[in-house]
Amino acid sequence: MKNAESLVADEFSDDLFEVAGRREEDSEKISRPPMSAIKDSWMRLKKNKGAVISLVILIIMTLLAIVGPHLTEYKYYETDYGASYQPPNSDHWLGTDKFGRDQWTRIWQGTRISLYIAFLAALLDLVIGVTIGAVSALLGGKVDHFFQRLIEVLVGIPHLIVVILLIMLMKPGIITITIAMVITGWVNMARLVRAQIFKLKGQEFVLAAKSLGSSNSRLILHHLIPNTIGLIVINMMFTIPSAIFTEAFLSFIGLGLQEPHASLGVLINDGFKGMRNQFYLLAYPAVVIIAIMVSFNILADGLRDALDPKMRR
Amino acid sequence: MVKKWPKIFGVMLAGLMIVLAGCNFQESSSGEKGEKETAKADKKAENVLNLSLENDIPDLNQVKTTDTISFSILNNIMEGLYRINKDNEPEPAMAKSYDVSEDGLTYTFHLRDNVKWSDGTPITANDFKYSWLRAMNPDTAGSYSFILADYIKGGTAFAAGEAGADTVAIDAKDDQTLVVQLEKPTPFFVSLTAFVTYFPLNEKFVTEKGDQFALTNDNILYNGPYVLTKYDQASGVELEKNPEYWDKKNVAVDKVNLKVIKEQSTALNLYEAGELDRVILSSADVNSYKDSKEFKTETEFTSYYIQFNLGKDPISNTNIRKALQLAYDPKTLTDVVLNNGSEPATGLIAPKMTGADGKSFRELQGDVVKPDVKKAKELWEQGVKELGKTPEITLLTADDTVSKDTGTFLQSEYKKNLGIDIQLVTKPYSGRLQTMRDNDYQMVVSKWGADYNDPMTYLDLWMSPAIPFRGNYANPKYDELVTAAKNEVDEKVRMDKLMEAEKILLKDDAVLGTLYYQGTAFLEKPYLKGLVTHPSGSPLDLKYASVQ
Amino acid sequence: MKKYVVIRLINIVLTLFVIATVTFFLMKQLPGSPFDEEKLAVLSDNQRAEFLSRYGLDKPVTTQYVLYLKNLAQGDLGTSYYFKGQSVVSILADRIGPSALIGTQAVILGLTIGIILGIVAAFRHNTFWDYSTMFVAVLGVSVPNFVFAALLQYYVGLKLGLLPVAFWESYSSSIMPSIALTLGVVATIARYTRNEMLEVLGQDYMLTAKAKGVKRIKVIYKHAIRNALIPVVTVLGPITVSLLTGSLVIENIFGVPGIGSLFVDSIKVNDYTTIMGLTLFYSAFFVLTMLVIDLLYGLIDPRIRVSGVKE
Repeated sequence: MKNAESLVADEFSDDLFEVAGRREEDSEKISRPPMSAIKDSWMRLKKNKGAVISLVILIIMTLLAIVGPHLTEYKYYETDYGASYQPPNSDHWLGTDKFGRDQWTRIWQGTRISLYIAFLAALLDLVIGVTIGAVSALLGGKVDHFFQRLIEVLVGIPHLIVVILLIMLMKPGIITITIAMVITGWVNMARLVRAQIFKLKGQEFVLAAKSLGSSNSRLILHHLIPNTIGLIVINMMFTIPSAIFTEAFLSFIGLGLQEPHASLGVLINDGFKGMRNQFYLLAYPAVVIIAIMVSFNILADGLRDALDPKMRR
Repeated sequence: MVKKWPKIFGVMLAGLMIVLAGCNFQESSSGEKGEKETAKADKKAENVLNLSLENDIPDLNQVKTTDTISFSILNNIMEGLYRINKDNEPEPAMAKSYDVSEDGLTYTFHLRDNVKWSDGTPITANDFKYSWLRAMNPDTAGSYSFILADYIKGGTAFAAGEAGADTVAIDAKDDQTLVVQLEKPTPFFVSLTAFVTYFPLNEKFVTEKGDQFALTNDNILYNGPYVLTKYDQASGVELEKNPEYWDKKNVAVDKVNLKVIKEQSTALNLYEAGELDRVILSSADVNSYKDSKEFKTETEFTSYYIQFNLGKDPISNTNIRKALQLAYDPKTLTDVVLNNGSEPATGLIAPKMTGADGKSFRELQGDVVKPDVKKAKELWEQGVKELGKTPEITLLTADDTVSKDTGTFLQSEYKKNLGIDIQLVTKPYSGRLQTMRDNDYQMVVSKWGADYNDPMTYLDLWMSPAIPFRGNYANPKYDELVTAAKNEVDEKVRMDKLMEAEKILLKDDAVLGTLYYQGTAFLEKPYLKGLVTHPSGSPLDLKYASVQ
Repeated sequence: MKKYVVIRLINIVLTLFVIATVTFFLMKQLPGSPFDEEKLAVLSDNQRAEFLSRYGLDKPVTTQYVLYLKNLAQGDLGTSYYFKGQSVVSILADRIGPSALIGTQAVILGLTIGIILGIVAAFRHNTFWDYSTMFVAVLGVSVPNFVFAALLQYYVGLKLGLLPVAFWESYSSSIMPSIALTLGVVATIARYTRNEMLEVLGQDYMLTAKAKGVKRIKVIYKHAIRNALIPVVTVLGPITVSLLTGSLVIENIFGVPGIGSLFVDSIKVNDYTTIMGLTLFYSAFFVLTMLVIDLLYGLIDPRIRVSGVKE
């Protein structure tokens, strides 16, 4: 064999040959541009008109929250007792409240806070809720038992008592609101994810992944959660507005932001009181919140369709 | 398994049906329903008055109850020796007259001849003695025992459990004569006998009912213009004219419904639908009804003020306090922000409260505090110089809308007029009271509602000893004036001392920042006449009302 | 199965015990006492102490706690401090009826409409029907239900005069509050049903059923709905509990003498016994609902075995 090889090497050097078909260096080359998962999803999202429009609206809302308050000469805390309860006009685009404060400025100032609250609620849901739900369902047994009892106890203790105690102990403000929300904000998400994973747990692909030696965390992150994503997105749609209104309630009883600050939730609560005669005080903040929520939902739905492997048609 | 679940839902549905069946509507027969329809068309045909209560009814046990809603109901189903009339003066009720001794310390009340409880038993002087002792007895008393014990001789010791009931100077001479000795001459004692805690009780009835006394309408014995025919704490009461009432010919309305409606906007809708005859307006609704003929306002004997805490830096500095007192105009607050019939305050004692010589205290005294931005600014700068730095200030408020709005108003005015940023701290009701007691505040939006029609109800609050709740205020000169007024028999001299005291409290020492006298703005149907609301004590009085 | 239920029931008692204990000690930390009122701030420290001792509130909290448990063991929830003289049991019994009626109607109505809307939206994915359902759902959660309730009262009650504006006098009084509460339920249920249906419709067994020639309605009923029910049941639990135990704002707006405002009010006035009674009632209801849901999981989808039922 050795002889034969050397013989070949001697008689037929490489120079004598020319590659006719595929080149080695080209075999790994990708002729179409590379598609990462994100890019792929983005491509598909772009085809969904509703989602694109929603994304644009959300961006506009965010921009307005940033620059909106500076577009008028008024400050959100500036009172003018000569100009209270003015309906929308050229001076005050969205009218004034009973202190004569410019509603346009206050709405966008409030949007900032509400967006923060929305972000916070979503984060809590994702980090605490999804993790606890997934771990609880996957491990089952004692762990599941413990978390379920924990949830029951947390839901059972009257929230208002805890909140009032927090008021007495802490300075009101964003951090205090955050703490008040951390206590039970994630419970529903945990329960939903748990239920869904219970359902998925017995299915073949989980068994397959397990027998291939996936660790629990891999199982959760790569197999179970992607299959729960639709549910997670929907639940966020419920958590976010409820968080925004929880914040308004907390502010009202003194735990949240103090005057002259206001969030969209606070503005809606205040507007409700004068709804009969100053409907605009209720209507505009409500429109902003609805616009944000509707866009968020259509976008989230589009995202879900784009991300979810089962939705690729 | 597959077949089971429809069954389970079936069982659950059946369970729900049981729940549904168990629901108790406040049953009104179909006949009544029909009456209601006609009632809407022509109210005057039916001699019925429909009013609302703004919260649940906590407790109709006159001895223990403390809240305005229970007081309002009790005032119409019970009656004391005297009754406060339309002009807020005491008029004879269970008693036909009284004699008072020269020194103003002994009162002898003469009961009417044939006054009866709703079950027909006669009312005697003993019923009053029993009730008053019960209201002071530490075993049975409620939080209002002081309204008797502070005035009646021997009351304080008895209420504290230091002496027996026989040491209290209440004497039922015979069935129709009640003699009471007082600690100090108290010119307003007769009007006190119209207060809920002074109403009589029938000993036999109360003993018989035991724990159940006053829990249902059957467990109360009535002696007022009306009796309760229905009593539900969460939904309201129905009153009907009391056939045993001594003055029943002067009670015009046959039936009154008082229904619990907690939401002002709902009450307004009900008023417009003709289901309520009177409704209190929220400030947001006032502007659109201001020109209506049905629109009215009135003020109560309740004053709102900023309580400065003299025990806390930098509020302990008099110039800072005075600056904070003068830097805002209460008129803006009442006209623009509250807009509910409240009046700007220039003193502590509410307008129309009794003074002397037929004039009210406020008329005699005039304005004590007048807003003055320029002077406030000077005082502020002077105060800052004395302190050596610009202080940080927080204002404590309760979490109801009106207090919060007041806080927002003050914050904006201080920013505009003094150029300072004050911090607002909102606490729930009991949280605010606790914080005040704990001396953990600099200034707070607070209030006081009068118990009776005399400036003393306000002014003795700030007497020594200094307590955090009253801003740690103590001034021997002030104590001296109020004490002297308490022992003074002469009406005029007494009033002068009280006026002097108010000036010291507000002007010299600037212990309070005056805000407003609470008012209400309301709508009243044109056919409703003579419905009296008293500015203190038990607001609602149906006796003089008519709907014809 | 039976063993599992028994174990869970024992656990429920333990859970309630923990909730009661934590609530009791937290509640005692609340500022003030049941005797706090602006008017009574004049009470001297002696008088205040006198009151507290009369009700045994001056004893150490642990002693009070042991006493409370003793009474509780005998089924005695005590008497209210605010509604003086009334037993907590009778207060709860008086008020639960109206709240439960409104809540039950809202849940049944919301569940029915929600599931139907969800199914329609899923079958008409990405059409007008789908979008409008979703819009209603979003509206249902982003506009607080009290705004909807107030509009309903103003237009249907006052302007049109179709239903009573407020009060609790006949069955018709319960209709508007129920409708006001339903919107949120419809939104939630429709949204979850739609999502699950979409997923189920893509599964192989649906294709099989279709291929076998099973009728569409039957496919929906036999296969699709059942598989879509898991999240619906999960969210329905807490919704039911919260609606049946009363909604503060809705009850206030419609003048319903229910249990909704009692919780907030009792905490505000430090009515300790009522707070405890309500907490126990509410938690017991919640915990039992959780048990029922866990059992339902297994019934709806036999593939699911809740921990502890392992064979």
